[in-house]
Amino acid sequence: MRLNVDGLLVYFPYDYIYPEQFSYMLELKKGLDAKGHLVLEMPSGTGKTISLLSLIVSYMLERPLEITKLVYCSRTVPEIEKVLEELAKLNRFIEKQTGQKTKLVGLAVSSRKNLCIHPEVSQEREGKVVDSRCYGLTAGYVRARAARADTAAGDGDGADPVPTCQFFEQLEESGRDATLQAGIYSLDDLKHYGRERGWCPYFVARRAIQQANIIVYSYHYLLDPKIAEVVSKEIVQSSVVVFDEAHNIDNVCIDSMSVHINKRMLERCSNNISAMEKRIANLKETDAARLQDEYQRMVDGLRDAQMKRENNQLLANPVLPDQILQEAVPGNIRTAEHFLNFMKRLVEYLKMRLRVQHVVQESPAGFLKDIFNKICVDRKPLRFCAERLTSMIRTLELTDMADLSPLVLVSHFATLVSTYTKGFTIIVEPSDDKTPNVYNPILYFRCLDSSLAIKPVFERYQSVVITSGTLSPLDMYPKILDFHPVIITSFTMTLARPCILPMIVTKGNDQVTISSKFESREDPAVIRNYGNLLVDMVTAVPDGVVCFFTSYMYMESVVSSWYDQGIITQLQKHKLLFIETQDAAETSLALLNYIQACENGRGAVLLSVARGKVSEGVDFDHHLGRCVLMFGIPYMYTQSRILKARLEYLRDTFQIRENDFLTFDAVRHASQCVGRAMRGKTDYGIMVFADKRFQRSDKRTKLPLWIQEHLKDSMCNLSTEEAVQISKRWLRRMAQPFSRQDQLGISLLTLQQLQSEEMQNKMRERVTHRI
Amino acid sequence: MVIGGSTNMDEDQVCPRCKTSKYRNPSMKLMVNVCGHPLCENCVNLLFAKGSGTCPQCDVPLRRNGFRVQLFEDAGVEKDIDIRRRILREFNKQEEEFATLREYNDYLEDVETIIYNLVNGIDVLATNKKIEAYKRDNRESIVRNRARGRTEEDELDEILQMENELNEERAREEQERLQAEKRNKVQKKEALIDELMTSYGDAKKIVASHTKVAEPEAPVAPKPRPKPTQFSSGVRIGGTRLPAVPIVPQDEGEPFVYAAPQLAMDGPAAPDSERLSADGYLSHIKRVGDAERAGGYAASLGCLRALQEGMAGLLFFPGADG
Repeated sequence: MRLNVDGLLVYFPYDYIYPEQFSYMLELKKGLDAKGHLVLEMPSGTGKTISLLSLIVSYMLERPLEITKLVYCSRTVPEIEKVLEELAKLNRFIEKQTGQKTKLVGLAVSSRKNLCIHPEVSQEREGKVVDSRCYGLTAGYVRARAARADTAAGDGDGADPVPTCQFFEQLEESGRDATLQAGIYSLDDLKHYGRERGWCPYFVARRAIQQANIIVYSYHYLLDPKIAEVVSKEIVQSSVVVFDEAHNIDNVCIDSMSVHINKRMLERCSNNISAMEKRIANLKETDAARLQDEYQRMVDGLRDAQMKRENNQLLANPVLPDQILQEAVPGNIRTAEHFLNFMKRLVEYLKMRLRVQHVVQESPAGFLKDIFNKICVDRKPLRFCAERLTSMIRTLELTDMADLSPLVLVSHFATLVSTYTKGFTIIVEPSDDKTPNVYNPILYFRCLDSSLAIKPVFERYQSVVITSGTLSPLDMYPKILDFHPVIITSFTMTLARPCILPMIVTKGNDQVTISSKFESREDPAVIRNYGNLLVDMVTAVPDGVVCFFTSYMYMESVVSSWYDQGIITQLQKHKLLFIETQDAAETSLALLNYIQACENGRGAVLLSVARGKVSEGVDFDHHLGRCVLMFGIPYMYTQSRILKARLEYLRDTFQIRENDFLTFDAVRHASQCVGRAMRGKTDYGIMVFADKRFQRSDKRTKLPLWIQEHLKDSMCNLSTEEAVQISKRWLRRMAQPFSRQDQLGISLLTLQQLQSEEMQNKMRERVTHRI
Repeated sequence: MVIGGSTNMDEDQVCPRCKTSKYRNPSMKLMVNVCGHPLCENCVNLLFAKGSGTCPQCDVPLRRNGFRVQLFEDAGVEKDIDIRRRILREFNKQEEEFATLREYNDYLEDVETIIYNLVNGIDVLATNKKIEAYKRDNRESIVRNRARGRTEEDELDEILQMENELNEERAREEQERLQAEKRNKVQKKEALIDELMTSYGDAKKIVASHTKVAEPEAPVAPKPRPKPTQFSSGVRIGGTRLPAVPIVPQDEGEPFVYAAPQLAMDGPAAPDSERLSADGYLSHIKRVGDAERAGGYAASLGCLRALQEGMAGLLFFPGADG
């Protein structure tokens, strides 16, 4: 249908629309008009993606000068594929409506691993290996060598031909004008397109970034400074950036700027260095001119012209202020030997730092001072370390990037530590958190400020949209990401029937308070009551039931107690039992069987962990998840040094109290977990929060609005028995047949209904929560 | 980790002379001297019992008090740093002393080459000559720079100092908060007991009212104003270093030019000071005593003032347009 959103003609490829989708578009339009940033929360399963795409694409069509590009960031490859499906549908709809071909170019960009069509390289399983093998076939100097070998072979020298990638070569041959035709390309379409023409799909996609109207890729392409500089540097300012499923965006930001180094990596670094030393000695004898050439470039301080060549940009340095990039490399690491010597000292120093018996915490300034005192290294050469290493690798024509990765990481660390004196901390721990008794020292260089990585994005692009199903409490995100949105809104779900049943269970049948707080979590009475709650719910609820625990350790201890108490046997009378483990393969097998058990009516229980794989990426729609139980509040491990340092930083810089942040984080994960059961308006599910602490207002009010709305006061202090009674009654109502007719006019609208006066008024009132 | 390989780099350390390893003797310490060849502590005691001797590996004469514990796994790095320290004591020019960045970078490279040559034993004689020459030429600036310290280090020190202050502040706040909490608790308990003792009401109600009062906690104490750490000019209080930016002279505007004010008397001009005594005005005024003259007062001043006051405004007619 064609909608009129605040004076803008919007193409919407479906015949029906949810009222909240329309409100969402209204707010989005306002934000785009104001050229500001937005934070929007809308429950999952209400069509966020298509609303976003429809509005922004229509906006682009009508006012092509104001918005030139849409950059849509999602988390995983399946999510990216879903976005492209919707986009293709939208494109077809627009073409049908206007009767002519659109000039839109939309594509997915992903790693080489997902796009490679080279017969051998694409067989590799690990992304890093694919990257490095691809680099070994397409780097500028490899191709130059291949060309030399070719001419030599032509002369009858019989030199071995140097392997290159035929797809890349053909793309190069067809020149710069080898561009994508208008259309929407998913990853498979790109591969198909590449095979047809014999072009490398990865580089086709990379080149198309500048020309395309819609780009869909993963967060890292924009947030990770190492990748962003290569991939996203030339995206124009008048773009709209969308971060979908952005409830974890602060952690992504932090991870992209953090480095951890352990002893094994340092050993490999030493090996890398000695290999490079040999290589240099070799090169000096055979091709001294090349080294001299590099040296001259260093002296002149020109950024390597070759570096602009995109296929060489496998390694880029972490963020540096621009004026430093213009400067020449400091004299004491200019020549190759001196630089290797420098790296050697650095690696030895790090090895020495790793020899600890207790935890050491230090600020970057302290680290820099110590590094000068111990090995006489200044700040400036450290800052140029990453840049210098990149140049060196290119000069030495090393192609095995996977092998060199530890050294590259160390160089990134050096650059980061000398660039930022604020917002980072260095923690050296003698052993892992998971295995506290095994001596395995690790140096964590940890970013504490999530706003650092995302700052360039906010500054550069006209509008940035942060959206997800669970962003509550909304005001936290602008604080921790340090930006000023023009619109912050939360939308609720309009429902034709009360299909969410959130309940807070605070006590068992024997009136024992249930809680996962530290003092009582090992109490057998609490564990027994958790068990009884599960058994009773399992008896009442059909099909799939999913439980979330606060940690793997807690889940293990609870399950073993349940086994002793005979609860497991009781459970198995009703449903099959599956458990998530830390092993990804095991977990996916368990999931597969869980789904099978639900499909064939046997019913199943899945025990999993908040923050685990299941809680983040797996949807349990319809019968796969009729009931979700959250056992306890999933707080972070508060004894972790890294977390403590971050909390302190948040308090000092952003005036966020420790407890506020911890609760915010715990509740967002809890709501993420329970949100797994609701994936649409025809779906229905029970959400049980089994912890006394949930009923406190500081936790309750932090839940997303669409859950809070249904969480009446009468549902907030239930015992197991009451909860089961309520669910039985509710399930009986929900099991009645439910057709589209029941929804129409309330939670689903046709064009006429949408345009009616009454509905328009309602729509304006719907935006309930605005700051 | 490779099976069979050692899991601890400390255990790899072996004394090259007596072949003792860290594994066999956990208290073994490897020592190095200027030549960069390690020896375990026992061997050092044995070989250098007289205070000096030669390195068993390279026959370089060494002194016993030159030995120190090996910090790094690679003894070559140890030697490198030894030499580097020595050289950098002399070659301590800073970036500010060079006209261009290019010159500074060239200087840095020269220094690095000298160190590299010394470490790897390339052209040692020529290099040493070069060092001597440099020392002779730059004797003054070496001493000066040594006294001045490095700018970069100062910057780092400053950051560290600020961090320390912040940490102390935080610790103090935390302690204050804890104490206040404790005090509060004790006070409340006392209040409850007092009330139970003195009041005739229902004991249960009193207890209930007190527990309710206890709930809403945390009246956040107003944050004390941060201690001033800088003068308004940007110089740190107690800091020694001048700010990196020189003080910019303020724009003071045009210099002041005196213009004699125009007096509007609206009356006949008063007689000037010469005519005062000539026309006998002065005879009508009080004589000036010694004490008044000492203060700089003269009869003519008072007289003139009185005459001016008397004549001013004589010809002023309100309503008439002036």
